[in-house]
Amino acid sequence: MKLTKESILGLIALGTFILMSLIAPGFLGSNNLSNFLFQLPEFGLLALGMMVVIITGGIDLSITYVAALSGVGAALMLTNGYSIISAIVVAIIFGVACGAFNGFVVSKIGVPPILVTLGTMVLFEGVILAITKGNSISGFGDTYSLIGNGYYMGVVPLSILIFIFFAILTGVLLNKSSWGRSIYMYGNNEIATLFSGIRNSRVLMKVYLYVGLLAAISAIIMTSRYNSVKVDLGSSYLLQSVAAAVLGGTNIHGGYGKVIGTVYAVIIFQTLSNGLNLLGVHSAIVDVFIGGILILVLTLNFFSDKMKSKKESRVSSVS
Amino acid sequence: MKKLTLSLLSLIFFIGILAGCVSESGGGSDDSGNSDGGDSGDSGSEEFSIAVVPKLVGIPYFNASEKGAERAGEELGVNVNYTGTTQADASQQVQEIENLISQDVDVIAVAPNDPASVDPVLKKAKDQGIHVMDWDTPANEVDLSVKQVDDEEFGRHMAQKLVEAMGTESGEIAILTGGLAAANLNAWIDAAKAEFDENYSGIEIVTEKIPTDEKQQVAYQKTLDLIKSYPDLKGVLAVSTPAPLGAAQAVQEEGLQDEISVVGSALPTDSKPFLEDGSLDTAVLWNPEELGYLTVALGKMLAEGEMPKDGQEIEGVGEISVVDDGKTVIMGPPQDFTKENAGDYNF
Repeated sequence: MKLTKESILGLIALGTFILMSLIAPGFLGSNNLSNFLFQLPEFGLLALGMMVVIITGGIDLSITYVAALSGVGAALMLTNGYSIISAIVVAIIFGVACGAFNGFVVSKIGVPPILVTLGTMVLFEGVILAITKGNSISGFGDTYSLIGNGYYMGVVPLSILIFIFFAILTGVLLNKSSWGRSIYMYGNNEIATLFSGIRNSRVLMKVYLYVGLLAAISAIIMTSRYNSVKVDLGSSYLLQSVAAAVLGGTNIHGGYGKVIGTVYAVIIFQTLSNGLNLLGVHSAIVDVFIGGILILVLTLNFFSDKMKSKKESRVSSVS
Repeated sequence: MKKLTLSLLSLIFFIGILAGCVSESGGGSDDSGNSDGGDSGDSGSEEFSIAVVPKLVGIPYFNASEKGAERAGEELGVNVNYTGTTQADASQQVQEIENLISQDVDVIAVAPNDPASVDPVLKKAKDQGIHVMDWDTPANEVDLSVKQVDDEEFGRHMAQKLVEAMGTESGEIAILTGGLAAANLNAWIDAAKAEFDENYSGIEIVTEKIPTDEKQQVAYQKTLDLIKSYPDLKGVLAVSTPAPLGAAQAVQEEGLQDEISVVGSALPTDSKPFLEDGSLDTAVLWNPEELGYLTVALGKMLAEGEMPKDGQEIEGVGEISVVDDGKTVIMGPPQDFTKENAGDYNF
């Protein structure tokens, strides 16, 4: 029987989930499960965005500050008495505009993404500090807080539905649209892609726009959940989202990555941190566990890739 | 063409979800509120469990308060869960509290990174019958608030210490602060100024309070500038924990330990090297270990349905005072760290 990277990861996710429900008291309690569903989307959306950039062989270090800046946009609208819809629209405009800036410098000027986004990370942080002076903006009203805290039809958290929607959308776009296929091609071989008649810069631009959109959606959920926005909104998700994308099987050099893998990885992270927390494990030890699992899975992936390529070369030499 | 239909379809789907949510979710959250209220009664039969959430873990200040909290747990027979995240991130802190709610603790005491961001989750905790309190930094939705010092007393105390260190009741001084917008620092400075005005009329403050961005390096630079511009400067009052260190560093480098006195709010381990050669005369702060202890002790009282009273004696901490609103507790007088005792502390 042959298992893909993703289905192995799915089994690991299932395994950690079962393990935690056996050893962590109250893990399967309805309260904890709903916590679990409420905590997942904001991180999941950022991880999805990160995955898409990594497939192109890039990275977006500014992603959490893009999110924070869109959050500030929404917060300013709400605290000045505008409607929720206009706040959401402004958040998305802010996110997409930040993405456009990143995309412009990466695709048209051709500066490596890690440098561009390192720069914009500091830039956006500065913009937020200039707007907020380091204070938090808070108090958005009860209706807005339903986006992150409300239940759809009284059972399912609304935010997890938003996440599922965007996960499916990302999957469909990557696999079914010509833009999505060009992303994989670009990640595998930039020059070959260019010579197959694809406008690389346009593909890349759209990638960063899409990441900006996902960051903005994540920001809307976060601001609604925490009823407040500050310069460091979600900043701890930055490296975690890279880790989740890579754990999910995305090739850090680009060209490979699947939505379902990233979703499994996000579930593994969330299960571990939630379960270990319930067990009363010190949060530094939780970090150790997550780091350990990441290294373990990456090593396994590395060896299985190596085996595969060996087998392939053997097959080709025999024939 | 296909792409266009796809994106249109997804847009419609998304709007559909949103529209559905606005009409349905109100009822949904009501439901959850009701069902949650039911299971709050079965806790609290045996040992109380008190969760103490710091701003972050792994820095000396909060390690010291952890020690105090755990000692209180052992001595008072309560189950203490001191848990926080490794980064001072508001969203991680909220998740930490959500997890604590799942664990059915009796009391949650939080030192919020961002007071507004913990409002919704503390409300949720209250709905489930959990007592909520804050410590170190005030939050909004709490039953009880533990404050380390009285701002007025703290400011006046620092002013007195500075005059004491200068050895004279007249002369020029300057005030350094962490940031112009920090409410607690401003309260301390105002109190200190009032003390100078009322009791030491010979003291002249040479310039407006100087912001140092909560950075030792900036405080150092500004103090060097001050020494140049005001050659007769006798004293520096520095509030916010990095500022006294920077000021002392400047005085040390210029060799003016005997001419210029520096007093400020700083942790003893950081200030020890400056205290030893007299470039920093006194560091004034509170004892974070006792703060942790007091938080747990009051958390236990809260779980037992009692409220602290003004002037009550808390074993291991001393006499506490309660502000007029009845729910803000002040731990006690500020503590001085000098050359003699700075080595006795590990925070």
